[in-house]
Amino acid sequence: MKKVSIISPSCPAFSLPAEYAVGAGEELSLVIVVLPGVSVDIPLDITIEGEGASVNVDALYLCSGSEKVSLKVNMNHVSGGSVSNQLIRGVVGGNARTDFFGLIKVAPDAQKTEAYQSNYNLLLSEEAKVETRPQLEIYADDVKCSHGAAVGKLDEEEQFYMRSRGITLKEARALQMISFVSPVVEKIEDEATRTLVYNSLRTI
Amino acid sequence: MEESKDIISSVTSNEYKEGFVTAIEQEFIPKGLNEDIIRLISAKKGEPEWLLDFRLGAFRRWQKMSVPKWAHLDIPEIDYQDIIYYAAPKAPKGEGEIDPELEKTFDKLGIPLSERQALAGNVAFDAVFDSVSVKTTFRKALSEKGIIFCSFSEAVRDYPELVRKHLASVVPVGDNFYSALNSAVFSDGSFCYIPKGVRCPMELSSYFRINASGTGQFERPLIIADEGSYVSYMEGCTAPMRDENQLHAAVVEIVVEKDAEVKYSTVQNWYPGDASGKGGIYNFVTKRGICKGSGSHLSWTQVETGSAITWKYPSTILKGDNSSSEFYSVAVTNNYQQADTGTKMIHIGRNTKSRIVSKGISAGHSQNSYRGLVKMMPGASGARNFSQCDSLLIGDKCGAHTFPVIENANPSAVVEHEATTSKISDEQLFYCNQRGIGPEAAVALIVNGYARDVLSKLPMEFAVEAKKLLAVSLEGSIG
Repeated sequence: MKKVSIISPSCPAFSLPAEYAVGAGEELSLVIVVLPGVSVDIPLDITIEGEGASVNVDALYLCSGSEKVSLKVNMNHVSGGSVSNQLIRGVVGGNARTDFFGLIKVAPDAQKTEAYQSNYNLLLSEEAKVETRPQLEIYADDVKCSHGAAVGKLDEEEQFYMRSRGITLKEARALQMISFVSPVVEKIEDEATRTLVYNSLRTI
Repeated sequence: MEESKDIISSVTSNEYKEGFVTAIEQEFIPKGLNEDIIRLISAKKGEPEWLLDFRLGAFRRWQKMSVPKWAHLDIPEIDYQDIIYYAAPKAPKGEGEIDPELEKTFDKLGIPLSERQALAGNVAFDAVFDSVSVKTTFRKALSEKGIIFCSFSEAVRDYPELVRKHLASVVPVGDNFYSALNSAVFSDGSFCYIPKGVRCPMELSSYFRINASGTGQFERPLIIADEGSYVSYMEGCTAPMRDENQLHAAVVEIVVEKDAEVKYSTVQNWYPGDASGKGGIYNFVTKRGICKGSGSHLSWTQVETGSAITWKYPSTILKGDNSSSEFYSVAVTNNYQQADTGTKMIHIGRNTKSRIVSKGISAGHSQNSYRGLVKMMPGASGARNFSQCDSLLIGDKCGAHTFPVIENANPSAVVEHEATTSKISDEQLFYCNQRGIGPEAAVALIVNGYARDVLSKLPMEFAVEAKKLLAVSLEGSIG
């Protein structure tokens, strides 16, 4: 099952269910994109109840004004032998506030679980603030779990490289941001939607 | 594999060689906590009025505070009226003399109190026994360089201005429940001042020993490194094996001035309780340093193997521009131990740097958590943090958790965090076994390799001890 939710000023609500139960062998893929100009709270509660299940959560939030975006993911591995993968990217400018909370919980008997999570953020302005709380609660030993989180800025050496080759700073920044968000955006099948997301980066 | 597991599980409970009790005449005050008790402690130590007021103020605040519940710990209700807040060995006859029983005790723990014996190691000790400091070695040699190294009580008497200026300047009284309790009833601790431009020629060390039953230990070390100075400070601790839980709530404050460097190392080996989780020390400690001046540096290294419950977050406030801090930690839990430990790095100044390396090892039925905060304030331009938190699980009954928080409010500050959870693989064990390394030794070898990044940061005197301790702590953990 694959679900895509694009949250934009014209469609500002998170329209997907907040709770999911994933059974043995099932696949769940959620793609969530928050475009600039929307403040939203997204709670996700995913419980993996069977073996051989596969869950992907790909999310992206883009903020350029005074948005407040909060994303909470509870990834609950009740049963072992399943894989979950969370890829969350944020580009935050203006005086926006973003908060990511992501918990991976592996129950005592959920052996052979594989759970990964990454939350990378670009912080682009003095007034904006990014908070990230990736959490692991592991009660089984034969598991592979990892999480990574980072808050950083656009690489100036990359910009210099492009500018010295005739690309304007504005365009260079856009290219950098496109490459940063593409792992999430490429999960969207509809090309028009992908273009919409990439174009909205230029407003940040 | 099965056979090797049997061999390991046949190894009985851990050996805690520091678990003895010293039979010595001690002086106690009555059980309980109220303003009279605090006045009594203050009077016993002959404290000035301002310090008594400080204690009473803290006590009144503490009464209004509640126990922090956010940690991933299961802490039984503690009856604060059922603790003896002051216990001291009876003073010997002559001034400056020390009871031979005490000397023997510390000797057994590997802490030489006579300077002649200490030739081998280049370490000055402050030995704290229950509520009092019994001896500080090498004071004369240190004072020639202008370094003050003495017990907190002596510092209050001899250097009241220094103490008054810095006490509670890093950890405010009302910072948390346990720091307020400590501020009300603290007994002793080491005081250390390194003057401008002085490089402390030897390692300074505090050794904390709980001996008396029914007591708690509340020490309060204070370290001040003036401009351009350097000191390496080590802390060790042990307690007897008892069925009761004893409380240890310390507050450590470190002030690092411009271009100064402080290296603070801890090997925490409080009694962890027996294999069924009975007894052990509750270690609820607030440790914090401030890198006050530009270019200052504070490095925390901790090896946590003991205590039934550990609640401890050595933190740094990076206030001075270009200041830097590091936190290296190995936390081992076995049997029914619980640990919730980590660090806070608060970046205020420009170009401040911090690095966090945390290695958690859980075995048996234990729970081991890393909890951390990296905060970039709006003014922390060009600041940088990198955190690496790994957990190793040994057995399927234990838990390993990671709770980092990152807050960034500066676009030029960069924060990175990564964490992994893994176990000792059968292949690794098989490889060792096949080459004649027994399962027990193989686990010790693998764990030591895993914790190497941190162990290599310890002063030499501690590193050897810490390696042995890791092996002993994990005895009987596979099976």
